[in-house]
Amino acid sequence: MTETQELEQLVQREYKYGFTTDIEQEIIPPGLDEDVVRMISAKKNEPEFMLDWRLSAFRHWQTMTEPEWAHVHYPKIDYQALSYYAAPKSQEELDADAPESLDEVDPKLLETYEKLGIPLHERAVLAGVKGANVAVDAVFDSVSVTTTFKDKLAEAGVIFCSFSEAVENHPELIKKYLGTVVPKGDNYFAALNSAVFSDGSFVYVPKGVKCPMELSTYFRINAKNTGQFERTLIIAEEGASVSYLEGCTAPQRDENQLHAAVVELVALDDAEIKYSTVQNWYPGDEEGKGGIYNFVTKRGDARGDRSKITWTQVEAGSAITWKYPSCILRGDDSVGEFYSVAVGNNYQQIDSGTKMIHLGKRTRSTIVSKGISAGRAENAYRGLVHIGKTATDARNFTQCDSLLIGDKCGAHTFPYVEAKNSTAQIEHEATTSKVSDDQMFYLRSRGLSEEDAMNMVVNGFCKDVFNELPMEFAVEAQALLAVSLEGSVG
Amino acid sequence: MSRQGLPEWLSTALPDHAAAPEALAQSARQQVETMGLPGLRDEEWRWTNLRPIHRGNFKTAPGQTAPSVTEAQPAEALPLDNPVRLRFIDGMLQGIPDDLPSGLHLVSLSDADEATRTAAFSPTPAPSADDPNDALVTLNTAMAREGVVIDVDASSVIERPIVIEWLDGATDGAMSHPRVLIRLGQSAQASVIEQSESVGDQPSWRNSVIVSKIAANAALTHIALGLTGPARLSTERCFASLERDARYHSYNMQLGGQVIRREYDIQIDGTGAHSDLIGLMMPRGKQLMDTHTRIVHAAADTTSNEHYRTIADESGRGVFKGRILVERDSQRIQAFQSSNNLLLSDTAEIDAKPELEIYADDVQCSHGATIGRLDEEALFYLRSRGLAAAEARGLLIAGFAQEVIDEIPDETLRYWLTERVQAQLGQHPDVAEA
Repeated sequence: MTETQELEQLVQREYKYGFTTDIEQEIIPPGLDEDVVRMISAKKNEPEFMLDWRLSAFRHWQTMTEPEWAHVHYPKIDYQALSYYAAPKSQEELDADAPESLDEVDPKLLETYEKLGIPLHERAVLAGVKGANVAVDAVFDSVSVTTTFKDKLAEAGVIFCSFSEAVENHPELIKKYLGTVVPKGDNYFAALNSAVFSDGSFVYVPKGVKCPMELSTYFRINAKNTGQFERTLIIAEEGASVSYLEGCTAPQRDENQLHAAVVELVALDDAEIKYSTVQNWYPGDEEGKGGIYNFVTKRGDARGDRSKITWTQVEAGSAITWKYPSCILRGDDSVGEFYSVAVGNNYQQIDSGTKMIHLGKRTRSTIVSKGISAGRAENAYRGLVHIGKTATDARNFTQCDSLLIGDKCGAHTFPYVEAKNSTAQIEHEATTSKVSDDQMFYLRSRGLSEEDAMNMVVNGFCKDVFNELPMEFAVEAQALLAVSLEGSVG
Repeated sequence: MSRQGLPEWLSTALPDHAAAPEALAQSARQQVETMGLPGLRDEEWRWTNLRPIHRGNFKTAPGQTAPSVTEAQPAEALPLDNPVRLRFIDGMLQGIPDDLPSGLHLVSLSDADEATRTAAFSPTPAPSADDPNDALVTLNTAMAREGVVIDVDASSVIERPIVIEWLDGATDGAMSHPRVLIRLGQSAQASVIEQSESVGDQPSWRNSVIVSKIAANAALTHIALGLTGPARLSTERCFASLERDARYHSYNMQLGGQVIRREYDIQIDGTGAHSDLIGLMMPRGKQLMDTHTRIVHAAADTTSNEHYRTIADESGRGVFKGRILVERDSQRIQAFQSSNNLLLSDTAEIDAKPELEIYADDVQCSHGATIGRLDEEALFYLRSRGLAAAEARGLLIAGFAQEVIDEIPDETLRYWLTERVQAQLGQHPDVAEA
């Protein structure tokens, strides 16, 4: 019996135990065991190496315990109560064909985009309108519904597609790079993701190619009670460069939803990757009810000499954020950067930061983190700067500033600094303060409302980071900040 | 990973009776038996490996010791004016001086009444009895047989410095778990100097706990001098609670020892109180020097200032972790912390973790941490003035250390320490060549 047959048998067998045989079914019933992992893999017609990979991740995950060190509190997650796969409804998906006009997209989704101020031309791109120049790989729940601009990118040799397509069409690249930056057993949530990830984005920029446009993905979560397990893999070959934008939105939901994504970046010699995120998932209501749990593993491997990885992020949403975009600076002269604004209001909890692991000679890293807490939010920066023995002449500069709005919130800094090489130069600075009465008085006396004055001060506080954002993100980010802090003054 | 429990040699050494009130000691015994010693997986110990203790097979020093042991002397006499001297040899108190200044009362822990002993074993901030990170305090509670209680009457200013001499290793492989209680009445002032040395060359381990309670408007100066001891292992924990307008000035100078871990837990409970934490660590050879500090601002209008420097040479390791916690409603806080670290060799290592945890909004808190080598430009400047390379380096390293030493209030002690540090730096190959 071939292994495929064995697999089929297994898939057949599990149906006896309550799984429906309907292959068209959109949501796998809640619960997680090896059968579910096999089913996800089977549904996606994955090659065997992927199934093996998922299963070994799953087995490892079972031996792990959920980490508790983060400065966040939430009721225990019942992983058996979650559903691990949700495909778009077929009438919306129109038999998996990309929508050709806006009319074919669920108006409710468009409404959400509208509310969140997603730039018109990007919405247009979704519909395939001519003249738009941002490629969008929109992920509706777990399956990539549409990928545009594929042709233009293909001309340049850039591969930008959903993760499943990449598994199907470029298995050799997946085999070579998957799990090399975030190993399948890296941490609890990464292991879970490795076992059950449904889809995500894949980018491959070949040698010497500068990606002709910024690549953009909107993640959103819209089905109830489904964990979202995205997986993104970006590879920039020698001398290549790419800028990737990730915007996240979610409609309002009562129940907490788990999002455990993994992002892996690989930059070879002289390559550059810039990964920008605006995260605006549902943060829960004013009472702290509901909201997304955002437990994400993001890591870039600056593998090549003179390579560069930049993370920029604006974190405004999610009930709980647990996220540390990191850089492993392996190549000599490689550069890692992290620019972050994290805003928490109401009962939001944020434990976020970065890790800069210096291994190559003359590696440099910069960390600029701005945390804003309002309402009853808890906002923690947690970071690691590690200078290895081999990292001669490495440099790091870190600045973490926290701004407190109101006396019920908290701002925390937990930086780890480790130096094993005497040529290391590390500077770390952190400050915590509130918006001063003088600043407010001055702005109010100029006729600004209290809210506008506050926004102006906050925007100024975040300027160092906003300057690093891609243009349209910078505009969006300011609007987002204002919306997030609504009601925090006065 | 499951916890290992105590190593057998330590488990069998747990006494049936200790100085702590029986109920406390008994529950501590049970707790620590299950917890065992802290390991690298415990967050507060991730950079400090207690393996030398784990496999040390230490023994409690016998109560009656031979004269050769009880006559042990510190190698270096501190230049102090008529100090009140309390000598502990392997944790055993060698008597209490009788010519005490008025307002100062000393009693050995074993002679203290139950209420006093309860106070000695109830520090503020309270460590957690079942947290492995705090296991060494629990172990001390279970094991402490000796110690001293230092009481200063209200409004008494004790001019004579009180010196606690910790002479470890008089008996080969000795361990000790002494406990000290320092209580300052309202508006009292005193200064306590801990001098730690080993008097043998065999490994020794001291796990001491010092509990200070500082009443309103009182001021305690607390200096720790970690001196010789190639095989000296020392885990030290200091608790201090401050009432209204109280002052706690601590100076932590670690110049010798194999593994030295010192922790400060400061609870600022009263408005207007202030705490200083100043420190210098100079690990070299294979030494590990670690300081952890936690300052809790539990009252409004309080301030703290922290300044630590480490010079790590050869294969020495320096660890610094400082946490500032501002509680909700503790408004108008100023808390500053800086940790500056010098790495002189590629096999040396520095780990630092400056933390801020802030729950009030009207605060000014900052921390800064730097790790680096000597400034090339400063070296160039000195070379251009005709100094040899080694001389220039020596000057810069000494200058780096001096900024911390200069904060010590007592002038003679400051000079003595300056010379002591320079002599030690002189052993650095670069400086010695000059």
